[in-house]
Parts: sequence; structure tokens; C-alpha cells
Amino acid sequence: MLEVKNLLVFYENALAINDLSLRVEKGQMVGVIGSNSAGKTTLMNTLSGLIIDMKIKEERKGGERITIMGEVIFNGEEITHLEPYDRAKKGMALCRERHPIFPESDVLENLKIAGYLIKRSELKERIDFVFSLFPALVGLKHRRAGFLSGGEQQMLAIGMALMIQPILLLLDEPLLGLSPAIQIKLVDAIKNIQKEMGITTVISEQFARPILPMIDYGYIIENGMLTLTGSGKELMGNPEVRAAYFGV
Amino acid sequence: MLQGTLIYGFVNSVILALIALGFNLTFGISGVANFAYGALYIFSAYTAWMLLTWLKINYLISIVIAVLLTSLLGGLIYKFILLRVRGMPISEVIASFGIGLSILEFFRFLGFVGSEYTLPVFIDGSVSIGETYIDIQRLLIVVIGIALVSILYLFTHYTKTGLAFRGMAQEERTALILGINSDKMATFSLAIGSGLAGVAAITILPLGQVAIEGGYSALLNALAVCIVGGLGSTGGILVASVLIGYAQTFTATYIGSHWMMIVSLIAILVILIIKPSGLFGKQKELEERI
Repeated sequence: MLEVKNLLVFYENALAINDLSLRVEKGQMVGVIGSNSAGKTTLMNTLSGLIIDMKIKEERKGGERITIMGEVIFNGEEITHLEPYDRAKKGMALCRERHPIFPESDVLENLKIAGYLIKRSELKERIDFVFSLFPALVGLKHRRAGFLSGGEQQMLAIGMALMIQPILLLLDEPLLGLSPAIQIKLVDAIKNIQKEMGITTVISEQFARPILPMIDYGYIIENGMLTLTGSGKELMGNPEVRAAYFGV
Repeated sequence: MLQGTLIYGFVNSVILALIALGFNLTFGISGVANFAYGALYIFSAYTAWMLLTWLKINYLISIVIAVLLTSLLGGLIYKFILLRVRGMPISEVIASFGIGLSILEFFRFLGFVGSEYTLPVFIDGSVSIGETYIDIQRLLIVVIGIALVSILYLFTHYTKTGLAFRGMAQEERTALILGINSDKMATFSLAIGSGLAGVAAITILPLGQVAIEGGYSALLNALAVCIVGGLGSTGGILVASVLIGYAQTFTATYIGSHWMMIVSLIAILVILIIKPSGLFGKQKELEERI
């Protein structure tokens, strides 16, 4: 479904992604694990096309030069230079790090805005579906999203990504800044989404412990480079991974 | 006299809100402070005048064409000029002010100077409210102003494009990954904002005459209302319109009408000293944009 071939991303002369290749098959849950500044967000922005928008805007104002080389192929189509809104139309949804919601709108309006690409007649059904996945949001539907807790905002952000009926869901550090109890709830919700809806999912995280058990395949990246790959089980059993991420 | 001042103060408040609506909408959504706004306001009035006087087209049709052309011009200005400098506030201001100056001074070059440039009122006559006589055009301004604010509210809260506007105004990158094309939406917002400037001009200018200087004062009034109310805040501009509208009317009544414009300038200065972000605005936005 998704293939990345020899991807290189530069911010000016700094190499953020270094010759990275990966594959995601339909229906899989794939993890991208790495520490801070490993290049996870740059990779997710490149997959979703957000980096193309950043590049255009930086070029317009003569700011930072962003260079992207290599190929991103989605469902057999080369999309490396496609804008993010066009990738969303093709069924690719990114849930950015740090709860990307519309803070001044209430929960319901956030979901309505997120339903921009779907037909008006499907909107209510889709919103009901999101509320069925995240029942905690039902009682908060008229609360301003900026006033929600971190966990609630993350649920809303994932719900918003699901509004576009994605066939590929990209989750960028969904557990960042959440308490362990909320992390467990959210991991269950993500597993549930993947199991019930069969949406192909790529999840990037620095917390390997909750992620590795649920992924089909994983890529460990450091300094923008792939250092290890393998199934979730294989990676969990790898002594280097255990030392680096589990502290054992 | 007080009753009359209160009534005319209210009408003046609606006039200011009408003038500022389009400027505020564009800024709120695209983040562009469109300093060509006053020129678009006058462009619409002159276009309606030319269609009506030279081409003898029906007044209502002339108005519709003038507003549509103003919208189109606003959209084109964004698409071909402002888009290239978007995100660079100083360049946006310089570019849009330059475009505005060019449009206004082009009309002067073409000879659109003098007192013959007037637009007819929609309905002639006046009515009395208590002891105060007020012409029907002013009452229509109030009706149109209230209708426009209501339509804008419904548009931004209940239509797909309006909701996309709201999303983009809050978090552009999130909007982008949800399938909303931010450049397209910004172009729409410039077009709609310019169209609103056109509606304001055609509703307000039948009270006086169409003059190039009107473009400069419309821009100044729009800026005063938006800065006092808080850039991008619709509630803020309604409150600011009432404050400045009444302040102007009381000044004109009790001091002298030539002091009216000074009120807008003083309002800008006072709010920048007391609360630079405006009554309902955000400090960050003001720091970035002004």
C-alpha cells in the first residue's frame, strides 16, 4: 500500500532523513520507533505531504530550504510531491503530534470541520461512529476543544483523522505528554480501530514498550537512518532494543 | 437632540461594522491585512456608477455586477500578488497598500474627481422615530448590516466552506491534512471580503458622494474598528463599531463634524497604549501582524 524508497530530507544542509526505505502492506500496523530528533515527525510529515506545504511556504518567504529526494509511493502512485490536501483526498490521514485540534471550536464543530471531504449526508453517521469509538467525548461535545485534557484532545485528534474515512492512518507520537493510565486507554483505542476497521496504520513513537506488542512490523530509526527492522515480537526480543527502550 | 444623536449614533455604528466586516473576515481567515480594502470599496462604487450612468444598466443589476467584479478583483489580487508574500506581514502590508494606492490614483488619473459621482438611494424618503427624522436609506443600512452579520454567522458555522474557513483560521496545518486547500480558502476569503467591501460601499455611499478620498477613510475606519475590537474577532468588531460609532456621532454633534475622523485615530492610539491586542484580540496575532 505504501512504499518509501531511498528517502532523503534536508533542512538547509542538515540531513533529517538519510536514505530511508520502508514498506507498509494493506491492513498492517507498522511502528516507527525512535528517540527525540530521530526524524520520526519529518518522516510522518513527508508521508502525509505536510513537508511539501512547509517547503512551498519557506520558498515563498525565502526561508529555510527544504530538499526532498527519493520516492513515496501510495497504492502504486508516486506521490512524493503531492500536496497534503490531495493526499487526504486519496485516503491518507495524519494525526500530528501534540493533539492537533481546532482549540476555539467545540468538539462537535472540530469533527464537522474534519468532515470537509465527506458528503453532508454522511456527516452525522460518521460523527456518531467517532463518538462510539471514543464515548468519553460524547459528554464533551459542546466543550471548547482547547479546554479538554491532553488525553481527550488526543482522542479528538484521532477522531478527526478518522472523519475523512482514511485507508491509511498516520499517527505521529499519539502518546506524547499523556499519563501512563491514559496511554493504556489510547493504545486500546488504536488497537480497536485497527482491528474493527482494518485501517492500515503507521504509528511513530518514542515509547516502544506500549507500541511494540501491537505492531505487525517495526522500524527503529536514529539520526534519520534505519538501524533495525523486524516484527514487533522480534524487536521486543532484540537485546539492543531492550537496552535502549526498556532499560533492561 | 439626545434622542437624535442616539439614533444616528446607532446608524453610524452599523456603517462602521459594515465597512469593517470584510477586512476582518479576510484577516481572520487568511491572516492577510488587506490594505487595498479601501480601494476595493471605492472600486465597487465607481463600477456601479459607470454601469448605471454610462451603460444605463438597471441599478440592481449594476450593483450585483459591481460587487461580483470587486470580489473577482480581490481574488485575483490574492492569487497573483499577495499569495507570493503570504506569511510575511510587512510585505503583505506594503504590497496590498501599494495595490490600493494604484487603484485609487488610477481613478484620479482617469478624471474621477468632482461632485457628480453619486449613487442613487435605494428608496427615497424619510420616517420619523419620535421627534427624529431619519431617511429610509439609513434604515436600510441598519437592516442590511444586521442581515450581513447574520448571514456571515450562518455561513461560517453551518456551511462546509464556512467551517473550513473556521478551521483554517485556527490551525492551518491541521486543516491542510484534513483535505482543506488553504491557498484556495485564502483566495475565497479575499474574494468574499472584497465583495463585502463592495456591498458596504454601495449601501453607504448613496448617503454622500463617491470620491477617491472615501477609499482612504474607509480603510482608516476599518483599521480603527478592527484594531480596537481585536483583529479577527467578529464580536470584537461589533463592540468596537458601537464604541467608535457613538464616539464619532457625539463628537460631530457636540464638537464639530470635522473632528469625526480624529476619533478613529484617537481610538487606535488609546487601544494600542491600553490593550495592544484589542478588546477581544490576541496579543500574538497583533505582534505578528502590526
